[in-house]
Amino acid sequence: MAHETHAKTLPADLGAPAFVDGWKSRALMVGVVFSVIAAGLAFADGSIEHVLRAWVLGLMMTFGFSVGGLALLMVQYCSGGKWGLLLRRPLEAMSRTLPLVFVYWLVVAFEVKRLYLWAQVSDVTAALKSGLINEVQAHAIEFKRPMLNPGTFIWVSVLCFAIWGLYTWRLNALGLKRDSDSPANTPYWIKKLENISGPGIVVYSLTMTAAVIYWVMSMDPTWYSSVYGLLFLVGQGYMVLAFSIIVSLGLSKAEPFRTVLRQTEQHDMGKFMFAFVMLNIYLAFGQFLIIWSGNLPEEIPWYLDRIRGHWGIIITLDFMFHWLIPFTLLLSRDIKRNKKRLVRVCQWMIFAKAFDLFWLIEPNYKDAARNLHFSWGILEYAAVPVAMTAFWVAFFCTRLKARPLVQTNDPHLAEILEPEHVHA
Amino acid sequence: MPPREGTYGLLAEFDTPGDLVRAARQARQDGWRRMDCYTPYPVEEAAEAIGFHRNKVPLITLIGGLMGLAAMFSLETWISTLAFPLNIGGRPTYSWPAFIVPAYEWTILFAGLSAAFGMLALNGLPALYHPLFNAPNFRDGATTDKFFLCLEALDPKFNLAETKAYLEGLQPVSVVEVEY
Repeated sequence: MAHETHAKTLPADLGAPAFVDGWKSRALMVGVVFSVIAAGLAFADGSIEHVLRAWVLGLMMTFGFSVGGLALLMVQYCSGGKWGLLLRRPLEAMSRTLPLVFVYWLVVAFEVKRLYLWAQVSDVTAALKSGLINEVQAHAIEFKRPMLNPGTFIWVSVLCFAIWGLYTWRLNALGLKRDSDSPANTPYWIKKLENISGPGIVVYSLTMTAAVIYWVMSMDPTWYSSVYGLLFLVGQGYMVLAFSIIVSLGLSKAEPFRTVLRQTEQHDMGKFMFAFVMLNIYLAFGQFLIIWSGNLPEEIPWYLDRIRGHWGIIITLDFMFHWLIPFTLLLSRDIKRNKKRLVRVCQWMIFAKAFDLFWLIEPNYKDAARNLHFSWGILEYAAVPVAMTAFWVAFFCTRLKARPLVQTNDPHLAEILEPEHVHA
Repeated sequence: MPPREGTYGLLAEFDTPGDLVRAARQARQDGWRRMDCYTPYPVEEAAEAIGFHRNKVPLITLIGGLMGLAAMFSLETWISTLAFPLNIGGRPTYSWPAFIVPAYEWTILFAGLSAAFGMLALNGLPALYHPLFNAPNFRDGATTDKFFLCLEALDPKFNLAETKAYLEGLQPVSVVEVEY
């Protein structure tokens, strides 16, 4: 009776392969090139208005990767599963990029008066008289003043960063401690990390909702949507999974990921990402359908700003880019199991997320609402976020190199080293 | 069709899916084609090992889904614009955003039903009789904890004595002959 084991063994060196340094220098190069392009465009446009707006887009992208990574890490600690063993260290590295995101945010905090109408207008009656705002905006700004003022903006954001920082520090420190402890204590660590992560997910949802309301939704002080936080939450799952699949498939070209990454788990992560593609369009379309059906003067202008004046082209492309294309491609089992093609889909999804944010951010401003037009400034959206994300990726690479890539004290490790047909 | 008689095939029993997959790969490599694997739960590698080929279920599902989409969307359009146009809050009679949700539901419904019935139509289920149930170890183990490889008598390489010896070389728990 054949009963010999066919399990693979984990390589002795679990550190990140050397080519991660190559990723870092490539990312730095892209960052520098696009910074130069951004500066040139700002010069051609003669103002930094669009640099700042595009900066918010870059902030939302890197914030999504960093805090979204923390959230997926917590979800993984609560749900368990073999995919988590692959993604845990990349997700930890993503969460530890929070300081850079905070630095990015500082720029927004300093330029709050240029970016947000409610910060610009201190005297509502005067602004109304001078024609800077209309009556609806005057009412909304006055009514929301206790929440929308620079002081609260800064304190709420700093508090959110402190909370995310606390969770990042705790989970990262305990993750290392668990590995240095004896394997016999692993059940204790699993329970402990689960107990931190469970409430952490709730805290994350609340703080993340507060942050996106302040940073993005309040650009239009008149409008509100109760699904807004959830929309960004799902969006973060969407881009975080896309990015971590790119990272883990990239790492699988060398040890230790060559040994631990099996096609089964790659397929699982693809399916997981597909669920986020569906959930994302479900919420985005749900919000649209409800506001369209209600057709109320408080809500509908937000969509009209984003549909009329050629913005209809952008929203149609947005629908195709961030739902139709990933949806049809990810339906295919072959694409999900093919490394090269899955990476292409993931790269496309990250681009699509940025495109969606462009559609959310730019029409908030008077010069762009219901009037999509060319200016050198609008090209900043293709330069500033790329540079910011590239610098973020470089920082991420240093974080990734700081730790071994595989957690060894994990009950799933033995399973993941076995050949794929042993388990259903 | 007259009832078939004689040997249906030789059935090898394995304790683990790993052993089954290795045996199935070996058999395919050695030129066997008329064979099948039986497992208590889906083992995708076993299907690949015996040369799983593509079938038309995905295509049937896609066509079904698109038919559901087209059917519901045109039904709603016909009702709202031609058959019974209503003024609802001043909206145009052709209000496509409101049509999306039912059209989507019908896409899912039709795709799901096409997948289920397409699968049944193509794989010949439900079957009232299958010769493998004549083997007692198959009856007892195939749905719980045993893994089976069956080399069928229809294969041109099949020869009762030689094939039995060949299967025993693959180190199964047992090899039994199955009658029609």
